[in-house]
Amino acid sequence: MEAARASLGSAGAAADPGDDDGEVIAALTQGIDRFASARIDAARIDREGRIDRDLLAGLAELGLFGLSIDPAYGGAGLGLGAVCAAVAALSRHDRSVATTVGLHLGLGTRGLSAFGAAGLRERYLPGLAAGTTIAAFAATEPQAGSDLGAIATRAVSGAPGRLRVDGNKLYVTNGGLADVFTVVACAPGAGGARRGHSLLVLERGDRGLEVGAEERKLGLRGSSTTTLHLDGVDVGEERVIGEPGHGLDHLAHVLAWGRTAMAAGCVGAARSALGRAAEQVATRRQFGRALSSFEVVREQLADMAALAFAMEAMVEATAAVAGDHPALARASTLCKVFCSEAGWAIADLTVQLHGGSGFIEDTGVALLLRDARIPRIFEGANDVLRVHAGAAEVAGAGATGAGTGTAAGTATATATATATATATATATATATATATATATATATVTATATAMLAEAVGAAREIERRIAEYRDGLVAKHGVRLLSRQRTLHRLGSLAVWRAAALAATARAAADPRPESIAGCAHVVEMARRQAEALLGDPSDGGAIDVIARSLTGARA
Amino acid sequence: MPHLPADLDRHVTELIASLCTVPAAQIAPTDRLREDLGLDSVSSMELLSLLAEELDLDIEVEEAMAVTTVEGTLEMARRHLAAATREAV
Repeated sequence: MEAARASLGSAGAAADPGDDDGEVIAALTQGIDRFASARIDAARIDREGRIDRDLLAGLAELGLFGLSIDPAYGGAGLGLGAVCAAVAALSRHDRSVATTVGLHLGLGTRGLSAFGAAGLRERYLPGLAAGTTIAAFAATEPQAGSDLGAIATRAVSGAPGRLRVDGNKLYVTNGGLADVFTVVACAPGAGGARRGHSLLVLERGDRGLEVGAEERKLGLRGSSTTTLHLDGVDVGEERVIGEPGHGLDHLAHVLAWGRTAMAAGCVGAARSALGRAAEQVATRRQFGRALSSFEVVREQLADMAALAFAMEAMVEATAAVAGDHPALARASTLCKVFCSEAGWAIADLTVQLHGGSGFIEDTGVALLLRDARIPRIFEGANDVLRVHAGAAEVAGAGATGAGTGTAAGTATATATATATATATATATATATATATATATATATVTATATAMLAEAVGAAREIERRIAEYRDGLVAKHGVRLLSRQRTLHRLGSLAVWRAAALAATARAAADPRPESIAGCAHVVEMARRQAEALLGDPSDGGAIDVIARSLTGARA
Repeated sequence: MPHLPADLDRHVTELIASLCTVPAAQIAPTDRLREDLGLDSVSSMELLSLLAEELDLDIEVEEAMAVTTVEGTLEMARRHLAAATREAV
């Protein structure tokens, strides 16, 4: 523990966010693992529906709440990669604890760290870094879930230099524990924008701020989730984080951090589930044989392991672009969708491989499944994110040269970043595969594994080529009309998710060409190829869908 | 053949209002889609896409991405309608 903390301290002084040291991360995760093994009782946390104060104090003592906060304020100053490693390590033991810490490090403090004025940072970050205060984030409202543009909470000018904040927030993670809330509010006129938004810091003690009761949930029962009522909260204008009226821009970056950290939580949970599944199939015997000897079971285990490998690859690749805001926004969307879906699939298969015992709470496997459900919904429902990813694909295809407007500029930057990342990943994979091929004489990698990697790289590039061809054909045929065809955008988004997974997996296997890595890569690329085949086929015209949906809801598309 | 609404400005304004929380009567030509009307990049593109569908216009993605204001939206619609009308004649 002390070693991990000491490593954090020495690395933190000079660390640039995003430039995470591998040795520091290894020490960090080992320290977390030791701490969690001794102190975290997931079944108890789930049963009692809370994390006790002693455990929170222990996490604070470990330095986890200050991991990504500037050393000038007492943090370790590490980047998104370290945050992801910590969240993943915690999530192996308990998702409620991982969510509490991850929310604090991501959505809870990122706005203050990245955009907060010196005064705000000096006021709040020391306590947040020490873990003596905990951060929450409040964006969702009764009528504004994925549609953040519909936020009704308002921050309007009151007395000179003051803001009056009114509204209601839902599903505020850490709400019951937090002293510091980052709140998203509509701020008419702020920054010269008629309908701008601002990020604000509110304190638990602010008059008019009331935290609601704890919600009862399907999973993550130990993490705090409350409502937040804001009734004429009167605060100074200095409570605005970043530029007034530019809250949605800041929010995009904060969400990108949060989504990546959340995806890392899915990785830890998936590794935990995979370990349970492997143990189960190795020890459980049916029909006179271990389950692990059955072909279908072996394939399911391979699917799970390959998905977990790709999840780790995507989180690493996403954290690596933390300094490039547009690239991070796009990569984090694909990463979040893939990791939450794969995490759910792995948890579901783990229950399945446990047979009837998987349905019994005492085994702990049912808890893994319950906890795995919400990541597909929060921080952007996956179907909405797929549509957004599909729109980004279309915008990327339409962008050329320097953008002439904000939207064009953003899209161009995104397209460039994507192209660069893709080219880099592919080039790295290809170059390393080639280098690996010449190094077989050293016997570090078998010829079979090398050939497998080269084949996977080729298959991933073919997936990439076919998706580009499909997208360009759609853009040429439909032009801008494509952007109102939600099912097509959803399909394009799904393709983008699998493409990103395949490319990340090949890059990771190329960088770490152990036979098991290459096998995981090869298998997930094959899964991506099959998914792409299905998605690239001709979709139905939607006639039957419309009839069914209208018969059930009465609404037309 | 493009579909030409009787009052293009009003039609476009009502379409914008349907995608944001600002009433049509309060939408001005100088309004910026993002900053003043709260339309994010996806919603802005959806607006131009719906406009192309409703008016039967062929608008390229690149051109649509350059539009950032209500006036820009109207100008683009007028330009394409005029071109389509010339072709039809």
